[in-house]
Formats: sequence, structure tokens, C-alpha cells
Amino acid sequence: MSIRVFLGVAAGKLSRHIMRLLGKGASTLPGKIGLSFCPDLLAHLAKDVRCIVVTGTNGKTTTSRMIEQTLIDSNASYFCNKSGANMMNGITTEFIMNSSLGGKAKKDFALIECDEAAFKYVSKQVDAECVVATNVFRDQLDRYGEITHTLNNIKIGLQNSVNATVCLNADCSLTASLKDEIDNPIVMYGVNLPIYKEHIKESSDAPYCIHCKHEYEYEYITFGHLGKYHCPNCGYSRPDPDIAVTDIYVSDADHSEIGITFETGKYHASVNLPGGYNIYNAVAAVTAASVMGFDVKTSIDALSTFECGFGRMEKFMLDDTETRMILIKNPAGCNQVLNFLSNINEKTLFVVCLNDNYADGTDISWIWDVDFESLQRIEDNLTGVLVSGIRADEMAMRFKYAGIPEEKIKVIKDYEKLIDEFTSQDAPVYIMPTYTAMMDLRAIVSKRFGYKNFWE
Amino acid sequence: MNDYQINICHLYPDLLNLYGDTGNIICMKSRLERRGIKCEVTGLSVGDKLNAADFDLFFIGGGQDFEQDALLKDADQNKKADIRAAIDDEKVFLCICGGYQIMGQYYRTWDGKQLDFMGLIDFYTEGHEKRMIGNYMFECDALIALDNAAEIKADDLIVGFENHSGQTFLGEGIKPIGKVLSGYGNNEKAEYEGMHYKNVFGAYCHGPMLPKNPRFCDLLLQTALDRKYGRGTVALTELDDTLENNAHNYMVNRLSK
Repeated sequence: MSIRVFLGVAAGKLSRHIMRLLGKGASTLPGKIGLSFCPDLLAHLAKDVRCIVVTGTNGKTTTSRMIEQTLIDSNASYFCNKSGANMMNGITTEFIMNSSLGGKAKKDFALIECDEAAFKYVSKQVDAECVVATNVFRDQLDRYGEITHTLNNIKIGLQNSVNATVCLNADCSLTASLKDEIDNPIVMYGVNLPIYKEHIKESSDAPYCIHCKHEYEYEYITFGHLGKYHCPNCGYSRPDPDIAVTDIYVSDADHSEIGITFETGKYHASVNLPGGYNIYNAVAAVTAASVMGFDVKTSIDALSTFECGFGRMEKFMLDDTETRMILIKNPAGCNQVLNFLSNINEKTLFVVCLNDNYADGTDISWIWDVDFESLQRIEDNLTGVLVSGIRADEMAMRFKYAGIPEEKIKVIKDYEKLIDEFTSQDAPVYIMPTYTAMMDLRAIVSKRFGYKNFWE
Repeated sequence: MNDYQINICHLYPDLLNLYGDTGNIICMKSRLERRGIKCEVTGLSVGDKLNAADFDLFFIGGGQDFEQDALLKDADQNKKADIRAAIDDEKVFLCICGGYQIMGQYYRTWDGKQLDFMGLIDFYTEGHEKRMIGNYMFECDALIALDNAAEIKADDLIVGFENHSGQTFLGEGIKPIGKVLSGYGNNEKAEYEGMHYKNVFGAYCHGPMLPKNPRFCDLLLQTALDRKYGRGTVALTELDDTLENNAHNYMVNRLSK
């Protein structure tokens, strides 16, 4: 053991201890301090751990929670980065907290949700056994740059992960194209049929062939640019998935019932989160579990019992008001949320909190790429739209141009007053915050209603 | 009254659709229709032939470099001649970011490679390593000119979000939209943003540009109406712009600090 590893781990653990005494989460600082003592600390700590890495634009957290449930139900000894600290410092923090002072791993498995841009650095130190790439959508362009740039980051990360079996989403023409860039064993997963009868208007993030720039043709689209595509010019087409969703029996406001077909046969799965994007997360999770050698039936059952929380349709009871929190961060993700919300058949109050801090993305123009116009469909059931956050004024204006009557739109910048407002009415509430707005709201909700802090 | 109509041509809506620029279309259409003026939007992309006589106002947004080749080839074959005619005919154009750049002569990368653009207006763009990114604010000389007042007011300013590594340099006789008060604009040195030639406006301004700058939006619409129906024929009525002005003034205040 090197003295630097010891110092890094010790300093990291100590800083966490102090921060917790101060009532702070400290989900990234210990890693930062640890790495400053020992720049390759993560490599030392990850050496003897079987690592599963989940990356991609959307679905990282939910997919990870689904895989986690399989780990729990298999009585595996594991740890994971849960609180959304998914860059180098946050991931290193979790490894520090799950190592002895000598840098020896305390657990057998690490389940790592990894930011797409951070993946190329994390993968230099973490020798993953399994990597899942969920999809590539347009995301906070001020941070990630263009979509092909994100794809390239993932490519570099995979090329660093020489010992990993790679699970790729066959339905995403960008992600699936990585199959020709790596030498790793690959398992393709996908959805073999369209998910929605009617889906909302959204522009494709990848209408043109990644190889020859000719326009793709689609046999069907599930949502966004995902579906069964092929390029009539160069012949690039969706690879046949090894593990696929082959039936969708039920898809309602609370869950989906689907059939997932493996080489060994078909399984009926109940996914306890609604929406087409969670069907993709489900098949991604069982694919990863099967790559890691877990029992297929266990991973299928996990889909019906896992808990996601942290802003993924997370439920709170605030006084008597049923409240669900759904994190929004980019147009593709937000459009999928609206696909779901615009089918609600009861009185509902919406709350949107839009911040433009670095972690939210400083460019908020993406709210104009979201089909908020689809809410006109449920306007009679929409009792109101409350807007808050740093850029509340912009959000209010967006709703106006989406055709929501101005008298239904209310700007309340103070979070305490915002909570007063929606807890003093009867309709169920859907809160859609961006990342830092969610963190601020959570702090107030836990203080006022006695919910746990997010790291507990 | 209901006989007035503005036909908007949205160029390459499937390719140049980054950063919410489509919000500009939503905004123009809404502000016309709320005044009882009809508005039809037509998207033309690769393979579609442009007939400039069909349209009063043209919008072209920003896009990703990846898709530029297919687009330039098509523009040359199917659209350039008509766009040139429309510019000479004093039709209104709003061109954002990449859509702004391709109206110019060329784009030169930092290592000297040159990519020829449509060459319709005399300016060019150079690629630089530094990315100019963030909220920004600039004066709009065309709005200031409407005022007949000595001092510049908040609604003479345009607020938005810039995100570009290309630096644009205007040729002689080509005016900018106005002076930059916060942020970068066309390039690191010039302290001016955008390009204004005849009724063509080009800018790096995402956000999108028009919704929270309603006075500038109305300037474009009024110009298009005046050109089509004769000056003074159709006057845009006042709208309740409370929410628009709140969004505008919030950024003006934040960037004035």
C-alpha cells in the first residue's frame, strides 16, 4: 500500500465526517481531497471491485436503481453513487467511503452512474466489468457541446474500458454506431415495437446517418430518434438486439407490463414507473444484470419492486397534498415527461422550477424545444401552472406561448410561498424542477415536513 | 381586416433547430395571430426548391457542424438564387448563429481550411478555440432609431444567450445590429453584435431571440407588413407584454450589474 493512497483515503473520510457534522451531504468533496493527495486514487480503490458503469444522456439514474434492486435481491455486497454525484469527484468519494484506510475494498460490487463527459476520465481508473450506454440525446449544450461530441466522449470511455462487456441501445443510431469503434464483447438491447400510439411532436436529434449523413428511414419510432432505422444510402441499420422488449401489454399512468425476450425465452415484466423511457431503462437494467451473471428472473422481478426516488416520479405527501417530483434537464427527457403528463385524466396542478446555474445548464433555451403545447390537450384538468426558480419569468412566458391561458400561470419566486400555495389546494401536484432547483426544494421540504436529507 | 397575411419561410427546420431557435417562429406567429393577422409557416429543407415570391419573412436558425455539408450543397442548388433575390427585394430575414454565418462569404478554421458559404452578404467568420458562451446583451440601433430620444431605454436592448467559437467580421458598409453591453458579440475585438443589411438581421442570439425581446420581434413583423402592404397600411396594435417584459427586464437588470 502506498502512503499516498492511505493519505487520500484518510483525508477523504475525515472531510466527510466533518462535513456531516456540519449538516452537509459532502458527496463530492472527499473525492476531490482524496484525488489531490493521490491522483490515481480511484484506480487503487477500484482494483478489486466488480464495477458496473451506467452512462448515456438519459436514464442513468433509473437504470442504476433497477440494477441496484437486482443486487439487493441477490444479496450481493455492493455500493453505489446514489445522490447524483456522477463525475470524477463524486464517484471517487463513494469508493473512499467503501474502502478501508489501507485502500482495501469493503464490498464486492460497485454500481456507478457516470456522467457522459466524465466517463472518459473515470474509465482511465475504473476497470469496469460491464458498461451500459443508454442513449445519446441533445443535452445542456453549453456543457457538453454538440451531440457528436458527447458520442465521442462515450467512445473514448469505452475504448479505455478494455475488459468490459458493453451493453448498447440498438434503437439509438448514435449509441449503436459505437459497436464498430470498440473490440469489446457487445450485448445489444432494444424495443422491437413502437411504444406509443400517438406521441408528441418532437424533432429528432439525429435525423441523418452518422456514417454518410444521408437521411434515415424508419420502420417505426419509439420516441425521439429511437426506433428501427436504416440508412438507404450506406446501409447502416439498427442491429438486431440480443435482448429485446417484444410485447407491451399495458402502459398506464403508474406502470407498464412488458414482455422481454432473451435467447433463453420470454419473461413477463412489470415496470413500476410509467412512460416509454422507463421501458428502455428496464431492458437496459436486465441486460446489465445478465452480463454480470445474475439470475434473469431476479432481475425481471426487481423491475416491479425497485424504488427510484430522487426526482424520478418521486412521491411526497406534503400535508395532505399528493406531490410527485420529476427532474427535468433536457428537451428529450422533458418531452418524455410531457408524453406521460399530457395523458393524465384528473385535476392536476403543475409546478415548474427553472434555474440556470452551471449544474442546470446555463442556457435555458431548450425549454422552447419542449412541446409544452401538448398540455393544451389536458387544459380542462390543469388547475394551474406555478412557475418558480431563477428563470421563472422566462418559464412563465414559455407557458403563455404554449397556449396556456395567462390567468392560469402564476410566478412565485419564493419557495416557501410556493409550497404554501400548492399545499393549500386539493389537486395532486407534479413538480418539475431543474437540478439545483430540486436540491433547494428538497432542503426546504425536508426541513418543513420532516423528510430525510437526500444522502440518508 | 382579416385579409392581411404574412408567409414565413423556415429554412432547414430539421437541420438548423438547435438551442430553442424554433421559439422565434412560435413567437412571430403568435404575435401576428393575436392581432388578427394571418400567418402561415412553411418549412423548407434539403431537396425542397425555394420560390422566394411565396414568402414575406425568412427565418434560419443555428445547427450542428455535423450537418453543414449536406445543407450547403442543397442551398447552392435549390435556394441561393432565390434568397439573393429576396434580400434585394427587401424582404425580412432573421438569421441566428450558424444560419447567420452561412449568409456570409466563408468560414475559415483555425488551421486555415476554408469552407465557402453562400456569399450573399459581405462578412466572414473565423473559427477560434475559445468558445464565447453565456448570457449577453446588446443595443439595437434599429430600435433606438425608432425612438427619436436621446437616451437609450431598456427596450432598445436585446438580451439572449450566445454560444459560438466562430468570430465574425463585417465587410465595409455592413452595419452591426448594435453595441455589446455585456458578453462578446461578433468577435472578441469588435464590441458589436450581429449584422444588419437591408432588412436582413443576423445575430448569435439564442434564447430564443424574439420572445423576450418583443419590441424587436414587432420591428421585424412591422417591416414585413410595410413592405408587403405599403407603409402605414397595417399598424401593429399593442399587446399585453407583461410576461415578455418581465423576462426581458430580469436579464437586463442581471446583466447591468
